[in-house]
Amino acid sequence: MAQKSWMYSVLEAVQWEMQNDPRMIWIFELTPPVASNPGMPVINLETEFGRKRVVNTGIDEYWMASCCLGASLAGSPAATYIPYQGALMPFEVIQNVAGKLRYMTGGRASMPVVWIIEMTGQTPGFAGQHSCYEEDSYYAHIPGVRTVIPSTPYDAKGMMHAALRSSDPVVYLYPAGLRTLVEEVPDEPYEVPLDKAALRMEGSDLTIVGSGAGMPEVLKAAEALTAEGMGVEVVDLRVLKEMDTQTLVDSVGKTKRLLTVDQSYYTLGPGAEVIARVATEVEGAKYKRVAFPDAPPPASPEMFTWMRPDAEKIAGAARALV
Amino acid sequence: MTDIKPIPGIWFILCSMGPRSLVGRKLEDTVMESLTRIAAPSASQDDGPASESRRGFLQLAAATGAVVSMGTRAFANGDIAFYAKDLSDEKLVDMYRTILKIRWHERTQADQMLTNPDYRGYNHFYAGQEAVATGVCATLRNDGPFEQIDLAYSSHRPSGHAIAKGVDIPKMCAENDFRATGLNNGYAAEMHLSDPSVGFVGADGMIGPSMPIATGSAFAFRARGSDQVAVVFGGDGTYATPQFHSSLNNARMLDLPFIYVLENNLYHQYAHYSYSCPHKDIARAAAAYGIPARVVDGQDVFQVYNAAKEAVDRARAGGGPSFIEAKTYRYYNHWGAPGATAGELGAFGYDPLAITSFRPEREVRAWMQRDPVDIARKTLIDWGTLDAAAADAIETEIKAEIAEAFAWAAQQPLCTPEDGLKHVFADGAVPARQFG
Repeated sequence: MAQKSWMYSVLEAVQWEMQNDPRMIWIFELTPPVASNPGMPVINLETEFGRKRVVNTGIDEYWMASCCLGASLAGSPAATYIPYQGALMPFEVIQNVAGKLRYMTGGRASMPVVWIIEMTGQTPGFAGQHSCYEEDSYYAHIPGVRTVIPSTPYDAKGMMHAALRSSDPVVYLYPAGLRTLVEEVPDEPYEVPLDKAALRMEGSDLTIVGSGAGMPEVLKAAEALTAEGMGVEVVDLRVLKEMDTQTLVDSVGKTKRLLTVDQSYYTLGPGAEVIARVATEVEGAKYKRVAFPDAPPPASPEMFTWMRPDAEKIAGAARALV
Repeated sequence: MTDIKPIPGIWFILCSMGPRSLVGRKLEDTVMESLTRIAAPSASQDDGPASESRRGFLQLAAATGAVVSMGTRAFANGDIAFYAKDLSDEKLVDMYRTILKIRWHERTQADQMLTNPDYRGYNHFYAGQEAVATGVCATLRNDGPFEQIDLAYSSHRPSGHAIAKGVDIPKMCAENDFRATGLNNGYAAEMHLSDPSVGFVGADGMIGPSMPIATGSAFAFRARGSDQVAVVFGGDGTYATPQFHSSLNNARMLDLPFIYVLENNLYHQYAHYSYSCPHKDIARAAAAYGIPARVVDGQDVFQVYNAAKEAVDRARAGGGPSFIEAKTYRYYNHWGAPGATAGELGAFGYDPLAITSFRPEREVRAWMQRDPVDIARKTLIDWGTLDAAAADAIETEIKAEIAEAFAWAAQQPLCTPEDGLKHVFADGAVPARQFG
């Protein structure tokens, strides 16, 4: 047990799985699988496992994703880290092959593959292609692929173990904006299930549902609202597919107020799905959605920070709802 | 830098520095050797710049259906032709001015980033590569009706291409600093700079998409009977992308007026290109697609011009695509100004982001010995186009022009937040959704 960063926690899980399964492979481009943590040994998958198992490739995310799929079909658990610049380049092979293969083969295909898809840090100034946050909606739409989006180092490690041990293909979204988060994370391997949302705060007046990089601002808003006397319940989705409907329905059944928060675009964002699922189960609830507008992120920090959901905007929407 | 001649053997050394040896390299060397015997008997590693004779060029073309680079150095193709030597003094000086504009834009911006806490812009610096953008764009039509000018597609490292194509520099400076009156009204910043009016289709922050898109523009030119050409600039990192291969194959199959300018500055982001390409000369890959390919010394603007002129002439005449690999080097790190010092050219020392491979200081300094500004200046003095005093005066003038551009940009208004909802479609604005 020690205070660990997001990436250190993830690589700790990968390292354990690779040590315990000599068949497993890892592919990366540009972002080396290296992490350090105060008081802990440096993890470097490339030097520990060698370049037959851990490869730095050229800029070709379609190949990276396909190679890992092929390795998994050959019986080797496989993972790749796709940096945000290439986050949707492998979409076709994940959507049209991996997502359908188990089904199309009548259940015969087994795919222990994890695609770590980095999402941007939403850094103001980096403009359209380097500040966007939209992969959650695209990947969550695919049947047959488990799409998860851990928002804490603890969940990141546990979900990585679970993803690598699963015979289903997993899109493991990594919002780079969370890279500075640090928390107590056990040294031993453990699993966090790939189908359960997490209740982060309990309250009876309002449910706020968020995910991924939106969570720190959601929690900040919830704390401010709690200080004002509002009873806020916070649900961290953690899993976009299969979405944990029961946790959502139970919460809104109690609060009768639901505010969803997405960093991604408004149309067909995770919040749209959350509201649709709750509305068909819960009578008499009220709803609001906070999301990035249906516009690419602009370069100008003045425009961008105004458009991006933050704690102040989330709290404002909550006050209007309750 | 006292001599415009390349340092003997520098290419051999630099290109052998790859961190891993590849099985394929042995095979390649064998192939290279046999090709060299056919076409470039005079090229060796020790005798300085070597020339391919026109006859050798033709023999090779007959043997392979393509022209590929010989020898181990970029300048093995030294005297491709003499186009640049026939240019007017005015045109030659104009090319020199363009190189200086790019250089002083980069240096001024780096100094702004290092010394001015209010400055917010960033750049993937192009310093060191100026001769490539300048030499290529000097062969293109950069003004006139949109239906007649040549189109250039740039990369994530666009400032040099933009200046060489003729983009308004003060407006570009304003855009890079997120100003409402910038080239693209603050929506683009560096990685999406665009000005179709000079044929600068624009920058692209991604690696790959621009090449097949550029072939699409070339397809349109061919379809409507225009003699326009489409040029794409990409780095050595583009070799590994599927788009590299699909753009070359389709351009060749359809004989498109398409020119692929690959600026091999040895590093894609923080990895040496030997991590992603088995060829020492990436131009070899283009030759395999049946496309005439040249390797040029990317530090010598006139060599670049000659190769580009040959390619543009071929494309305008309906002869199809060409590939130019310019051996070059960036003086700064991949992004921003880590390791740089205000007032000093180049970045040295360890880049904290460069974990896979980083650039040895001696490598940076060796390349700076073959500086594109110095080479252009010395060549023009050697040709009698300029004397030292005139060259100095031009540089002083350009430096002041760039300083003025940055000063103007700094006075421009910031963007209005609500404007972020405009320009999603041709008309109107999308609704705000961030307030619930």
